[in-house]
Amino acid sequence: MQDLQGENKKLKEMVDFKSDLISMMAHQLRTSLSASKWVLKMFVDEDLGQITHEQKVFLQKTYDNNEKMINLVSEMIDVNKENNTEIAYNFSHNDVAEIMDEVLLEFIGESKERKVTIHFTKPAEILVNCDPEKIRTAFQGLIENSIKYNKEGGEVFVSFESDNYEVTIEVRDTGMGIKEEEQVHIFNKFFRTANAKKKESVGSGLGLFAVKSIVERHEGKIWFESTMGSGSTFFIALPIVRS
Amino acid sequence: MSKKILIVEDDTFLQGLAANKLTAAGFEATTASTGELAKAELAKNKFDCILLDLMLPDISGFDILKSIRETSKTLPVIVFSNLSEDKDVKQATDLGATDYLVKSNFTLEELVEKIEKTLS
Repeated sequence: MQDLQGENKKLKEMVDFKSDLISMMAHQLRTSLSASKWVLKMFVDEDLGQITHEQKVFLQKTYDNNEKMINLVSEMIDVNKENNTEIAYNFSHNDVAEIMDEVLLEFIGESKERKVTIHFTKPAEILVNCDPEKIRTAFQGLIENSIKYNKEGGEVFVSFESDNYEVTIEVRDTGMGIKEEEQVHIFNKFFRTANAKKKESVGSGLGLFAVKSIVERHEGKIWFESTMGSGSTFFIALPIVRS
Repeated sequence: MSKKILIVEDDTFLQGLAANKLTAAGFEATTASTGELAKAELAKNKFDCILLDLMLPDISGFDILKSIRETSKTLPVIVFSNLSEDKDVKQATDLGATDYLVKSNFTLEELVEKIEKTLS
């Protein structure tokens, strides 16, 4: 028994050490990426002098890639948090329709930029016992994918359906869809479909893994349907607060 | 008269970029690369806004924030850090930070807009 306790203590120390190391490295990476971001933006905006159109195109691409690296570091931090079981989930009763509404507002800019139309009619209050920030992260993950892997001029349909026991949130896109042979891996850590890699060369593959972890911590379920070339629909079911 | 901003940032490259941008935007930017230098600046000069990094080589930005709030509850202090964990944001908010910006999420133009909005 004492051996087991000793082993457990050692394992915990290793996990904590790894987590702290990741946090520190992420901070250092962000510092360098911030500097690149600012300088590249200054070049693109011609704050440092006029540049040719061709130079602007290359610098804008470099800026965009830098942004992707910044997002990757953020994903790494999020998954590091998820893996650390000491991180508390702070549960309270929250309106998940309101949370989704707020998340969609955040994506207005990106959806306009990618010419993707989001359809959502906010339903009446639906209370779920949840950590609102974690649920927000889960919703962000699905909405981001539905826009990122969509066609230009594509659409995203978000809807809620509830009964006395649970609410099912549906996020349907008209994007590229997922190949049948890849579908079994979709929630695996670090997995990215071949089409996703073609569309966006940089990505951690941590997004859906993190979303699934959050949903399951809330005693919910996540699943999807997908057809190549037509799009995908992701479903999250969460137990509701019964009055 | 130009609004005075104190930039507390230990990375001299980031510090210089931010100072140049704020100066170009019409602010008077003063820089401090350590907590002690920041405290010295705060003791001898009046500022309209503080841009405060949290990871400093000597004292933590949280301690600087705490000491600012001991003398002024209203001086705008914008925490500008690449730390983004909930516990850091909560600690800064509890200590009286006016805003909390994650550096890598903002361009310098957006930083200027935030400062202008805070001071308006």
